[in-house]
Amino acid sequence: MINFHPDKQMLELHAQGQLPLSLSIALSAHIEYCGQCQQQCQQLTKALSVEAFSDNSAPAQQEQALLDDLLSNMLSDIDDLPLDTGINLPSSVTVTVKEKQYALPQVFRQQMLSEWQGIGKVSRARLDTGEGKARASLLYIDADGEIPQHTHKGTELTLLLAGEFSDEFSDYKPGDLMVMTAEDKHSPKTKQGCLCYTVVDAPLYFTKGLSKILNPIGELIY
Amino acid sequence: MQINSTKTSQQGYDNVNHNQTRDVMKTNSDKDNNEQLALYMSAVANYQDKRAFAKLFAYFSPKINAFGHQRLNQQGLALDLVQETLTRVWTKAHLYNPDKAAVTTWVFTIMRNQCFDMLRKVQHNREDSFGDDIWQLFDSDNAQEDDNDFMLSASLLKHVDALPPLQKQVVRGIYLQELTQQELAEKLHIPIGTVKSRLRLGLEKLKSYMEQAL
Ligand SMILES: [Zn+2]
Repeated sequence: MINFHPDKQMLELHAQGQLPLSLSIALSAHIEYCGQCQQQCQQLTKALSVEAFSDNSAPAQQEQALLDDLLSNMLSDIDDLPLDTGINLPSSVTVTVKEKQYALPQVFRQQMLSEWQGIGKVSRARLDTGEGKARASLLYIDADGEIPQHTHKGTELTLLLAGEFSDEFSDYKPGDLMVMTAEDKHSPKTKQGCLCYTVVDAPLYFTKGLSKILNPIGELIY
Repeated sequence: MQINSTKTSQQGYDNVNHNQTRDVMKTNSDKDNNEQLALYMSAVANYQDKRAFAKLFAYFSPKINAFGHQRLNQQGLALDLVQETLTRVWTKAHLYNPDKAAVTTWVFTIMRNQCFDMLRKVQHNREDSFGDDIWQLFDSDNAQEDDNDFMLSASLLKHVDALPPLQKQVVRGIYLQELTQQELAEKLHIPIGTVKSRLRLGLEKLKSYMEQAL
């Protein structure tokens, strides 16, 4: 049972395709675990499609001319287009860290992981999302590992992918998605070990839209 | 909805939502509109019918163009979005399943995914495509059925029986007996994770059979 979900605004921005890649990955992965958010996202998408396609007014003449040209170009080339074979089968996406193999959500199928780095029980592999200030990574904590109490300069998103961890507030299970802000202080620890996806320092240009991710975050110090 | 002949689908053409027929549209419900669009989709899917495609283009292109203007802020890019989206409507039409989603929702999904990739190019100078990984096009209506929206074609069925027994059991259970993964896990007394991994392995094998056949 997943207890921690993205808030409604975040889900909406996700359905609109307005979140940056690092956060879209988190939402897509959460949705793979969470039927409730999957359904909500589908409903939002349906509503957005109605909204996007509800205006039946004719475009300006100039625009229409451009579209007419485009159609005739497309129709003349279209026979040469290979049809999509379309079987977008789920494939197994896995990651191996400290000799343990974990299955990852489908959204990680294009692996962009850099090398694992870390000290002691904590390892981290960055994902190159090309977003400048957004730092997305996989975080692995070994069994009986603990992260000393810390705060976040800004905001940190954590999605638990495997294993479990707990902090002063709760116990977390795979699929749980948490957003911690500057005021939150916690010291997570894990008995079995855990694998998380984390995003810190969300890109500035999106911070306006996200109620919770208001502050661009500095480095998170583990 | 079943379309059995080109004739049926072409009879529907004249009801389409076009500027000239906007009055007709007003009295039609969204449902009729969607059925009309689904008729065109099926003509494109089954007969690569260009006339039907032109109808879809007439309906969607101004709307996609407007959406592109809003999101991408450039005329040229908005037109690219129209082209990219409607090209995919053509090449993927046979994959559209009217039982799963309205045509408008399906086209919106393709458009949003394309737009996401185009925005990455504009904002981060990245030539990658993540849109279809983030929002998979063929999400099922039911979260329980995550992996079940893959239709087994007759040609694939014979390969199912060639799978290793444990994988075959799971693939048959999910696709032929239409059990949920949870039900199957209970029935076989195995963890749901095992159902998922066997299913994945089985489907990967089937996929490689398919690729060999192509
Ligand atoms: Zn959720």
